Amino acid sequence: MERKLQITFFALSLLALALILAAAWQANTPSWKTYQRSFLQLEAQGEPNAVAKAAVLGTPPEIHQVLLPGLQRVDRCTTCHLGVEDPTMKNAPEPFRYHAGLGPHIPSRFGCTICHGGQGLATDKEGAHGKVEFWPNPLLSKDYIRASCGRCHKEGEVPDVPELTEGRHLFETQGCRGCHKLNGVGGSIGPDLTGEGANRRSPDWLERHFLAPNVISTGSAMPNFHFTKEQARDLTYYMLSLTNEEMGSYFSSVRLIPSPEYGRQLFVEKNCLVCHAVGGAGAKTAPDLLGVTKRHSIEWLDEQLVNPELVYPGSSMPEYDLEANARKALVAFMATATPEDVQLILSKKPRALTPEDVAIEAGKQNFSRFGCVGCHGTELQGGVANPNAQGGEVPSLLHLSDDYTKDEVIAIIRNGRVPPIDNAAGPTPPLYMPSWKKVLSDEDINRIADYLWSKQQKAKDAW
Amino acid sequence: MNLIREIWQSIVRRDPLSTDKGKSELVFLNVWLHIHPAKVKKENMKFRHTYYLGFITFFLFLILLTTGIALMCYYRPYPPQAYQDMKDLQFVVFMGPFLRNMHRWAAHGMVICVFLHMCRVFYTGSYKKPRQFNWVIGVLLLLVTLSLSFTGYLLPWDQLAYWAITVGTNIGSYAPLIGGQLRELLLGGHSVGEAALIRFYVLHVAVLPAILILLTIVHFWRVRKDGGLSRPIWKLKPKTEALVTIGVPAEVAPMQAAAASKDKTYGLMEVVTGKPIFETVTPEEEEDTVFSYPYAFVREAVVLMATVTTIMTMSLFLNAPLEELANPAKTPNPAKAPWYFLGLQELVSHSALLGGVVAPALMVLALLAIPYLDRNPSRRLADRKLILWLFTIFVVANLVLIVVGTFFRGPGWALVPPWVHVVGGAE
Repeated sequence: MERKLQITFFALSLLALALILAAAWQANTPSWKTYQRSFLQLEAQGEPNAVAKAAVLGTPPEIHQVLLPGLQRVDRCTTCHLGVEDPTMKNAPEPFRYHAGLGPHIPSRFGCTICHGGQGLATDKEGAHGKVEFWPNPLLSKDYIRASCGRCHKEGEVPDVPELTEGRHLFETQGCRGCHKLNGVGGSIGPDLTGEGANRRSPDWLERHFLAPNVISTGSAMPNFHFTKEQARDLTYYMLSLTNEEMGSYFSSVRLIPSPEYGRQLFVEKNCLVCHAVGGAGAKTAPDLLGVTKRHSIEWLDEQLVNPELVYPGSSMPEYDLEANARKALVAFMATATPEDVQLILSKKPRALTPEDVAIEAGKQNFSRFGCVGCHGTELQGGVANPNAQGGEVPSLLHLSDDYTKDEVIAIIRNGRVPPIDNAAGPTPPLYMPSWKKVLSDEDINRIADYLWSKQQKAKDAW
Repeated sequence: MNLIREIWQSIVRRDPLSTDKGKSELVFLNVWLHIHPAKVKKENMKFRHTYYLGFITFFLFLILLTTGIALMCYYRPYPPQAYQDMKDLQFVVFMGPFLRNMHRWAAHGMVICVFLHMCRVFYTGSYKKPRQFNWVIGVLLLLVTLSLSFTGYLLPWDQLAYWAITVGTNIGSYAPLIGGQLRELLLGGHSVGEAALIRFYVLHVAVLPAILILLTIVHFWRVRKDGGLSRPIWKLKPKTEALVTIGVPAEVAPMQAAAASKDKTYGLMEVVTGKPIFETVTPEEEEDTVFSYPYAFVREAVVLMATVTTIMTMSLFLNAPLEELANPAKTPNPAKAPWYFLGLQELVSHSALLGGVVAPALMVLALLAIPYLDRNPSRRLADRKLILWLFTIFVVANLVLIVVGTFFRGPGWALVPPWVHVVGGAE
């Protein structure tokens, strides 16, 4: 017995040693080392002589990582994707191929996962590609990868990604905010979408959801907006781009791309032509802007836009409080502006609005911006299905004045209202009028009421 | 050569191990080994008496201590870096996964072994006079072990950790009057957040291990002072004899200093007379004894290596879970407490007061009071039928509740057997 126990003890000790060695061997042979060896062989092929070849092959294996505190991530993708920044690897097999067409977005500055998704911290293929349990962001498929541009470029146009611009436009005009919050503004009937991109539902799910909300999530209160396939894709792009991750100052400074197109939009918005002209087209109060970028440096122009008085004491040009990229966009536009284009701007200038028109127009904007149109329709026609509410749908607002005074309507907007129920035993109708007094100022609400009253169809008169 | 011998002899001062004196001196001249007696009773060391569960628990604690210190080198106790450090352990630290797995499995193992050890002590009646207080220390050690496991549960800062601790601390908050405040004190706020993480970390790496070590010292000391391991029940003397003198009798003789003899060293046994506090050895038992070296040590060494290799094998093939980054806005359904609290959570689902307050308080109080409530001096199974049944029911009820809570509860805490897959609970 005693002898046996001693042998057992030594056997177990040897087993423990073997287990430690096995664990060390397991730790020492990760798959990324295999990839690095293949890459070195690939690189060595290009070397002219045996010495150089041996030197390349002798490179010790190591983990490559891009630390991006500004993007709150650590990307180790380049541990295996070794050729992404090496143009000679243009025709190399994956995972070593060169990543063409990145523009300024070089991996050493941006990492990979900010666009591609996946798990940057991981060093094995399945883990890194995020196709594992408990990692919510798997790699985005090629079809949707451009949605990621919107994670940093949150405003204005993103070149080559019309889907994003269109998605944002749909979101703001179709009344999505009536039910959904985004960055703190919006209703609370549907989920907050501020971090929707970080939840990373599959793009496929999102797209089908937009086409038929009720089919994908049963019992959803979301009305069917009858989007086209393209619109569903645009909205999917926009959803995938939504993130509430706090980014470092560099990455948040690029919210807006300083493109000449955006500059032109600002040029129109800020009414520059009231004082300035381009090649004679426009007003003569202030200097003609044709060739202004040749007469002054970019820095000078930027300073002029920030603080005109400092550059020209006594200048009558107002301060516009433009952010850096907006100023850059304006300068970019001025560099390319032609008298013909400016003439086009002048010809499209709408007539001046009366104060009443302005109030109604502002009301209309609010009605769309805060999402009222989501349920009540862009033409106040209503008609969105709301089971078990009286009439079974969201009421039209075209005949409000028959039943309510303007003050009563203002009170309903302020305090919200649960729709009268059709069948008391039935389920609660999914949609209701939220209270807006915490979101909208009294002035905003009054303007919405003005807008509604301007649209009332006098049903009584028609009788 | 002389110098080397001198150095060796300055370290090891015992006689050669071939002699009985050397075997004794190995034990009592060594600070680490002298917790053992120089001689042990052969029968007491039988595997089927103790299953070495106390030793296994202690060895698991040693594994936890060493791996825990190593893990501390890689861990920052604030979110979300804590989670990133877990990922680094998983992906870039050399043998990081092995290290973390060992810590995790040893931790679960320790909770299980403490419980089993307690059951063994109960069934063999080893909590009886003179070992009542050591049972109390043991119950405290069980509670400290559970607290250690619970505080460690939060540290990975993943969804599993976050919600288990949220649910676990909610169970505690059902206690009347102080429950809410206690939870707030523990969490450093109203919900699990940064403050909770640092508090749990401090408890996990400093406060609780210190308490555990101090209590363990007392526990071991008392095992020695109460007369070593208890006699196996098959070695108990016939009923009529009962136990040999136990405890200090009321009519204890006043202490008398014995005359010092010149050829002996002085120990307490030389100057104090009177009946000993601990179980004494009768002449027939004396024949049963052997030197601790190597009889006890080789057995302990085998158990140590068996424990280590088991944990290592598990760690090589089973990875400790790590879910998504903790997200307070996304509640998993169902959110479950750590498995050893799932019995309580199961009770809470029926009655918050029962599961959150009454049951745990009664359980702890009953366990602490067992040696004082059980007045039956006999350790024989046949004499203890009622209390054995009661304890068995207590153990089985606990296990059933834990199994139900772990495997049979689905979304909304509905009864779902584990073989049924619930689809789309989250959407």
